[in-house]
Amino acid sequence: MRSPRVCVLILACGNTLRSDDGVGPWLADWAEQHFAAQPEIRVISRQQWTPDLAVDISEARSVLFIDCSIESDPGTIQLRPVEPAVPQQGLATHHQGAPELLAFARDLYASSPSSAQLLTIGAGSTELGEDFSEPVRSALPQACNLIEQTVTLALASFER
Amino acid sequence: MTQTITIDPVTRLEGHGKITIQLNGQGEVEDAHFHVTQVRGFERFSQGRPFYEMPALMARICGICPVSHLIASAKACEAIMSVKIPHTAAQLRRMLNLAQMVQSHALSFFYLASPDLLLGMESDPAARHIFGVVASKPELGRAGIALRRFGQHIIELLGNKRIHPGWVVPGGVTEPLAPAKRDEILAMLPEAYANIGLALAAYKQIADSFKSEIEIFANFPTNYLGLINEDESVEFTDGTLRLIDPKGNIIEDGIDANRFSQVVGEAVEPYTYTKFAYYKPLGYPEGSYRVGPLARLNIAKTMGTPRADQELVEFKQLASGPVQSSFHYHHARLVDMLYGIEKIEQILTDPLILDKHVRAIAGVNRLEGAGQAEAPRGTLHHHYKVDENGLITWANLVIATGQNNNAMNKGVLQAAKEYIHDGQFTEGILNRVEAVIRTFDPCLSCSTHAFGQMPLVLTLLNPDGEQVDQLVR
Repeated sequence: MRSPRVCVLILACGNTLRSDDGVGPWLADWAEQHFAAQPEIRVISRQQWTPDLAVDISEARSVLFIDCSIESDPGTIQLRPVEPAVPQQGLATHHQGAPELLAFARDLYASSPSSAQLLTIGAGSTELGEDFSEPVRSALPQACNLIEQTVTLALASFER
Repeated sequence: MTQTITIDPVTRLEGHGKITIQLNGQGEVEDAHFHVTQVRGFERFSQGRPFYEMPALMARICGICPVSHLIASAKACEAIMSVKIPHTAAQLRRMLNLAQMVQSHALSFFYLASPDLLLGMESDPAARHIFGVVASKPELGRAGIALRRFGQHIIELLGNKRIHPGWVVPGGVTEPLAPAKRDEILAMLPEAYANIGLALAAYKQIADSFKSEIEIFANFPTNYLGLINEDESVEFTDGTLRLIDPKGNIIEDGIDANRFSQVVGEAVEPYTYTKFAYYKPLGYPEGSYRVGPLARLNIAKTMGTPRADQELVEFKQLASGPVQSSFHYHHARLVDMLYGIEKIEQILTDPLILDKHVRAIAGVNRLEGAGQAEAPRGTLHHHYKVDENGLITWANLVIATGQNNNAMNKGVLQAAKEYIHDGQFTEGILNRVEAVIRTFDPCLSCSTHAFGQMPLVLTLLNPDGEQVDQLVR
């Protein structure tokens, strides 16, 4: 079941029935279409990040996690590096964050991507609904640009 | 003074529940309950929908075993249509249900239960989770993840989605199996066999160190219910139900879905939203029974696959009659998984498995229909009534967790009475009480039903938090 090592894994998370929480899957759909001709880029979109994704992460050279954030201002885009981390307490069985998934990949498969980043978009609303709030809708073009830049940089770094 | 110990939430379960333990003035356990605190309304809000929507609608009740709901629901619809589905469709559904069982059991055993089993009931709770398992036994962590992916990937290959696949429909499945998908699944089998072999060996090594837990984790005589084939082998998707007594004698056999509601009743208790299923001729609670992996293995004479049959022989040596301790659910779950992998291989070598005839078409030919299947955690029953236009007028779901409910509550009480004295308890003791529930692997999201009006307590508080008024319905 293990696939050949992919260069860039885009791993999105969110619930499309919870308004802005669906921004991760929306951006994953965009990325899937945008990078459709590039097999070295793999896109996975899930409602929740679960431990089994550690296999996919261990096969990737670079990972870009995408999620919404309820801590940032609505529509605010942040891109920051992520390091593997084992939670000290309060581990949820059905959902892990990006640091925990990286730790799983490292500890189970002795394989970590050379770079891992988390792109978040501040949520304005996570109430029931399939539409984005205005701040998130307005932020989508910038988020797409940032994904493209990040992926391009990652691919370029592997060619050096 | 009396005291109540509350464990809320119970951790490492599917869904949300709590445990309360009532102590008397001497600090001894008087009573204990397992409460399911969430409520769902699927039986109610499905009313008015076309019957052919029911599988897709009902499967949304849960993300853990939606496939079993799909199958039980589709079978209820087929009873309304009065059709028998094509052989290939039945085999493909069986494979889908087994794949779901493998992935669900992997989640239960490796993610939820193994922290207790491998790290110890009294180990540091901050590290008593899947990361602790990974640090301690990485090979088992990898096996667990691989077995879960094995089941999920088969579901995705067959149904095009890992969760809530829409492939199972009234009359069969929407599309036949492609040769490339068959070959991909066949190629996954050697790794799956290796991983379940690893898990069984690891479990047997540690099981002896849990003798005291085996003695008191819901260890009492009950009846057992499960699906079985005519040759007395385990069945997950078709067959009929058999009910046995605590000594293994058959109480009732050949219970098909149409007869289920004649022999199984549902009782309610005021402290939980989950109902309590019981065998009507014995009444409630005497007619309570257990379902799921332990029940399946207690009922079956054979698994019907060679490797699982060897394991069944070993499992049955745990007791002279039915294996009564719920701790052995863990062991039975692993045997179930081995069976599932072997059966999937058998199904894939069926000469008709690529046949294109996979769906029967019909309209409403009866105004009532019922269907049943084995979900990972036990028997699942769907029962619908429709009007002449095929619109649902009534629906009832009898869920595995409801059928285990009495045993879970008795098990919690048994463990609490054993471990808690003089009002003294530690975190490790409370974890043992929780671990009793984990052996059943209850899934609470689909197990809850309102009976009549939803019980409701409305409390009006003033700005200082003092109660001004209260309305109890």
